[in-house]
Amino acid sequence: MEDVLDEVVSSEDLQKFEKIFHEQLHQGKVTHKAQFEYAWCLVRSKYPTDIRKGILLLKELFTSHSEGKRDYLFYLAIGNARIKEYNKALHYVKSFLEIEPANQQVLALERQINKRMEKEGLLGIAVAGGAVLAIGGLVGLGIALASSKK
Amino acid sequence: MSRCDFKIVLLGSEHVGKTSLVIRFVNSSFNSATPYQNTIGAAFCAKTMHSNGKDFNIGIWDTAGSERYEAMTRMYYRGAHAAVICYEPSCSESWARLRHWLQELRTVEEECKVYLCGTKKDLLDSGAVKREVPEDLVATYSQGLRGHFLTSSKTGENVEELFQKIVDDCAADINLMRNVEEMRVQLLKEEAAYKAKNKEHCSC
Repeated sequence: MEDVLDEVVSSEDLQKFEKIFHEQLHQGKVTHKAQFEYAWCLVRSKYPTDIRKGILLLKELFTSHSEGKRDYLFYLAIGNARIKEYNKALHYVKSFLEIEPANQQVLALERQINKRMEKEGLLGIAVAGGAVLAIGGLVGLGIALASSKK
Repeated sequence: MSRCDFKIVLLGSEHVGKTSLVIRFVNSSFNSATPYQNTIGAAFCAKTMHSNGKDFNIGIWDTAGSERYEAMTRMYYRGAHAAVICYEPSCSESWARLRHWLQELRTVEEECKVYLCGTKKDLLDSGAVKREVPEDLVATYSQGLRGHFLTSSKTGENVEELFQKIVDDCAADINLMRNVEEMRVQLLKEEAAYKAKNKEHCSC
């Protein structure tokens, strides 16, 4: 199912906006628009390093350009959710909802994040459970070895 | 596992009511108490529709109308099977913007089926607003497109009709249907392979 967290930027688009951003960076003047468009591509990348870079650019925009704050918050939430920083993502969601409590896009995003946490949370317990069993096994083996040495 | 058979994108200038149109269509609701909130980037919605005796999953990308998102909006209409360009008959600026999207689609997505949608019909009917975009102009522009609908998200008038027409047109498109069938077969294969692999795993 397509949804906002699964949606991936094409490398063509990423390169296009990267080029514009770097050209402006080279000239010493990056516009908010260029930085936002590049960051927006980055947080929708397949690669976590890109997403992290996008998050940094968005954070910088958030503090320097008050006009676009809601957009920056929204994509900060998406970026963090995509690298599984769910608590940070929810923090941005909550800040957004304090200003616009009825925003459907953000409420939908919150549901999606919770769903993922639930799914992966269960997975996490399963992995931890497996590890406990493995450790139990090792301890058991250790005891068996120790007693056999006697 | 599900996938969208048809991708529909909504375009148009801000505040014409693209999001309200989607909400009316998907949830059959309209809330006049909700304050106006610009869509950020694009929002996605899905719904199952019926046409020609078959079910289809349709995915709708509701794009942000604000011009600061223009570069991004382009990425959403790429590969769209159908586009609904919305305007407000009482707002000539929104019509100018519609012409811009029409041109873009013609050059970038030739295959895309294009529909025009005049919104807020209830306001026009009640005389609360005056028509600024002449009807004959709309008729001229509609020629060569797949259709023009005058809708009201408040009353629901013509909303279902618009989306049904899109799905019927898509279902009648032989090339498009061939792709849909191929994709479904592919998906079934993947699912079968996935199940077989899981079975192998659990040979208890």
